[in-house]
Amino acid sequence: MSVIQVQNLNKSYNNLQALTEISFELHKGEIFGIIGPDGAGKSTLFNILATLLAPDSGDVSILGMDLNRDYKKIRKEIGYLPGTFSLYPDLTVLENLKFFAAMYQSGIRENLTMIMPIWRQLIPFKNRLVGKLSGGMKQKLALCCALIHKPHILLLDEPTTGVDPVSRREFWDLLAQIKSYGISVLVSTPYMDEVTRCDRIALLEKGRFIVIDTPPQIIKDYKGKLYALKTTQLFYLLELLDQYEENCSFYPYGEYLHISFYQDVEQAVIRFRDFLNQNQINYNSFQEITPILEDCFIELIKKNRDVHH
Amino acid sequence: MRIILMLIKKEFLQVFRNRLLISILIVAPLVQFLIFPFTADYEIKHISIAFWDQDHSTLSREIIEHFRHSSHFIDCGFIDSEAEKEEALLHDHVDFILQFPPHFEKQMVRGEESQIAITANAINSVKAGIGSDYIKNVLTGFFESKEEGTPPSIKKMTSISINHIHWYNEKMNYQNIMVPGILVILVTLIGSYVTALNIVREKEIGTIEQINVTPILKWQFLVGKMIPFWILGMLEFIVGLILMVFFFGISIQGSTTTLLGATAIYLLVMLGLGFFISFVSKNQLQAMFIVFFLFVIYVLLSGLFTPTEGMPEWAKWINFANPMSFYMDIIKLVILKGAGLREIASQVLILSGMAVGINIAALLSYSDKIN
Repeated sequence: MSVIQVQNLNKSYNNLQALTEISFELHKGEIFGIIGPDGAGKSTLFNILATLLAPDSGDVSILGMDLNRDYKKIRKEIGYLPGTFSLYPDLTVLENLKFFAAMYQSGIRENLTMIMPIWRQLIPFKNRLVGKLSGGMKQKLALCCALIHKPHILLLDEPTTGVDPVSRREFWDLLAQIKSYGISVLVSTPYMDEVTRCDRIALLEKGRFIVIDTPPQIIKDYKGKLYALKTTQLFYLLELLDQYEENCSFYPYGEYLHISFYQDVEQAVIRFRDFLNQNQINYNSFQEITPILEDCFIELIKKNRDVHH
Repeated sequence: MRIILMLIKKEFLQVFRNRLLISILIVAPLVQFLIFPFTADYEIKHISIAFWDQDHSTLSREIIEHFRHSSHFIDCGFIDSEAEKEEALLHDHVDFILQFPPHFEKQMVRGEESQIAITANAINSVKAGIGSDYIKNVLTGFFESKEEGTPPSIKKMTSISINHIHWYNEKMNYQNIMVPGILVILVTLIGSYVTALNIVREKEIGTIEQINVTPILKWQFLVGKMIPFWILGMLEFIVGLILMVFFFGISIQGSTTTLLGATAIYLLVMLGLGFFISFVSKNQLQAMFIVFFLFVIYVLLSGLFTPTEGMPEWAKWINFANPMSFYMDIIKLVILKGAGLREIASQVLILSGMAVGINIAALLSYSDKIN
């Protein structure tokens, strides 16, 4: 069963196409991650789904309700965490929570059990002004405020941006708990390591979804064989490779060079070793590795750019 | 109802935590009341005057001596040439120059016509106008005191005396006009500025988005914002009234209830205007400029400094869109003249219409979506 259905959604600002033919479904009780670089259109998509922005065309239905017609009703059923922190900095933690509970006409008491895992961490600070909280605490409070009315759907626009790694991990642990209450979560992030914790992922690039699938399936669908090369002459090698005429793709990954071969892999690898030797490149290791999600995304984005150029 | 109560509570919490706002709310009325009424005064003292005596006669010296004894004038000595005269006026050394032509005394004694030239530095037009009147009065007074020796030509001039009686402000005490006027300015400022900056601030820090995604209705939001600032505005007005009555000793001739009622309506106009500006502005700076722009026009056209009756026809038309001029009317009429509800009915009706209109406009300009 799906709680959000989006079909052929388009949105442009003046002449700038922000979203192109977006279609996807959010299933009940899943965590659906949207990953994409800055400016890909993540926030635009969230603003539309949060009923703040009207799409140019396309059908959006949330819990069976039409976005344009029933947006007032939809607002009661969704919890939204905007990309920029937007609680009142001059109110205390508790005052903010009470305020937003009242805006949704819901009581704190009856919903406290659900937000308890998060709220417990905030209790020591409940009388502190929100403007004086740390980034991680702010986001936890924002999550509480977005959950206080027991929404069916939670929309989180980059909830962990600017939050330290430990708090980020805690935040994702909380999302797993929220999911266990049957709440469907749509979350965007620019961090690769976070998306592995999603049930399904969509990769947003220049306003288009270029893949929607589960993380294992995306890895499984990786085309080609991936090799990692460790060398001290990485930058020199990258320059040389500009002239390398072979059906392969490569990109630096930390201190490694990742190279992907597509056809006739054994021969291609031999030719590549020859190329290294001819140019007197010293390397410590050169071996096949299993791609991770990041490799898959880089691959997909490259392919998408080739198609659209 | 719970939503509105919560909004009001939240607004008060924020107001009382905003030290700048609180100090403005407390300091503004004090400063305005304790400084402005004493400085904004049309009664001119300290008029500096120089003399150019080309006659050097007993009469001219006597007249000069008379001026020197008047408390209104500061003696700036003598000048001796056209160049010096220009220099003194150009550099604002003097406000007036009194010039006695040669043979002044001789002509006067013979009963011929003679003229004393009064040259005014009219950069300050009020001072120039009122100062000339003072000088004429001093001259008239001088010749009256020397009645027996007054030549016929001067007698003619002094034969009519005009007595002024200022109704509703018998002593022509300028504070009686200024203090109620400042009361109007105070209510206008608090009403429009504070609200104009309020919603646009929520836009700037992004909280308006978080409000917009809740099921709260637009009118609930507006009412929840309106009530706290309406209460604050009324409190400011009451504090102002108390200062007026007990500090300046200006008693309210009309009914205090009428005054409060009219202020209640006027505040709704100003709050609505502030919210309207706040909804259409993109940031606090923009909102502030719009309010400032309107405020200056409102004050200048309100009749506080120059009477509205003397304005050209087109300015009177503009004034129909100036809520401040109607409120200024009401305040002056009720406080100084003791007017009742019947006399101010038309102004109250117009303000009520404005209140409804501007608040509908504010509501319509509030989009709960991203523009």
